[in-house]
Amino acid sequence: MSGAFTVVAPDTLRSVQDLLATDDEAMCMSGGATLVPMLNAGLVEPSLVVSLKKIPALSGISRNTDNGISIGAMTRHVETAASELLVGSLAGVRNAASKIANPVVRNMGTMGGSISFADPGADYPPALVASGAEIEILSTEGGRRVPAQDFFVDWYETALEPGEIVYAIHLPPADETACGYHEKFARVEGDFATVSVNVVLALAGENCKSIRIAVGACGPTPVRNADVEQALVGKPLSREALLEAGKKLAAECDPVDDVRGSAEYRLNLVPQLVTRAALNAQALLQDEGAA
Amino acid sequence: MNGNHTIALTINGEPQQLHISGNETLLTVLRDRLYLTGSKRGCNQGVCGACTLQVDGINVRGCLTLAALCDGTTVTTVEGLATISGLSPIQKAFAETGAVQCGFCTAGMMMAANEFLAHSPRPSADEARQALAGNICRCTGYKKIIDAVLLAAEMMSEEATA
Repeated sequence: MSGAFTVVAPDTLRSVQDLLATDDEAMCMSGGATLVPMLNAGLVEPSLVVSLKKIPALSGISRNTDNGISIGAMTRHVETAASELLVGSLAGVRNAASKIANPVVRNMGTMGGSISFADPGADYPPALVASGAEIEILSTEGGRRVPAQDFFVDWYETALEPGEIVYAIHLPPADETACGYHEKFARVEGDFATVSVNVVLALAGENCKSIRIAVGACGPTPVRNADVEQALVGKPLSREALLEAGKKLAAECDPVDDVRGSAEYRLNLVPQLVTRAALNAQALLQDEGAA
Repeated sequence: MNGNHTIALTINGEPQQLHISGNETLLTVLRDRLYLTGSKRGCNQGVCGACTLQVDGINVRGCLTLAALCDGTTVTTVEGLATISGLSPIQKAFAETGAVQCGFCTAGMMMAANEFLAHSPRPSADEARQALAGNICRCTGYKKIIDAVLLAAEMMSEEATA
């Protein structure tokens, strides 16, 4: 464990913000599943850890008046993985949550904590980009909203400025005729992804009506390309077309060699996983249609 | 080792008041201050599952839980599974099945099984595997561990109907 630090759990958001604003070496903690491993490994040395655990406003998933869905930053993966509000086009977020780590870590880890760390191998970044999420950020100066694709800036780097925290994650209204799906390839269940692909698919009869594809763990931030997606629209999803789309996306990826796979191996996975993700989403939609 | 935080919590039914430092995890406090060494320190990163324990009825990793944030909580460790009348069905099942080799993962496995069986009293082998996916055994004893969980489920349902 790293050097001595003090732990506080304020019961108002205002005091959390004041503490973070006045102490440069203070760190904000949500569930602890990300920060405490870093503390244990001596990778961070805060003077003060500010826990959000006593701020209930930061937890829970709710439907807004415009039918959009808001997920509080402190909402734990176990709750996201079971939410009945995350259906249709938003099911890929729920599906991603259910594939994070293992049941005990899902009891602890939160969406706000996970995305603030911005591990490129994590499951939420591609899920939030594919589902068109916006991240609501709070500081003493007020709030702002950033689209998910702009929130993830670089390796372990987000749009958060010092003193800012993630307040909530906002998702557009669920399109119940669409289907989101998170295809995760990992060495063993519960590991970070070697590569993950999150898709949101809608069909018009046999044809692809719309598709959004985000590739995770294959570069600093999720990779998405609207032209590649558009090329799949208006025709049936064939394996050939999906592999072709996957190859184009792989060309935009910038993976590294690490313990989870070489860069070359990851690039080979991308077309396969894009194909699997889209065909799995299509099968789920067709099952629903048949039922 | 006297720290700058004071916490009062209930551990395996006993109230405890402790003075700790901010950088101590619940696992460290249990093992090094209270000598409750059933929960093991494996990876200290939340990956191996050997420190799995319950805080306020929910399974967490002891190594990822800052003790300073446990004021007012109720903690159950593997030492709290047995009752005055003897070992719990999960403990009996692990012993009977031979699901323990070196024993390092056992406490975490039993705590994971404890939460799982409370919610899924009649599980399939696959469901049991999923539930214990976050607990690593390096003696490759998984087969017998899953057998033990299924046997514990049987024993518990017999107990419930008896």
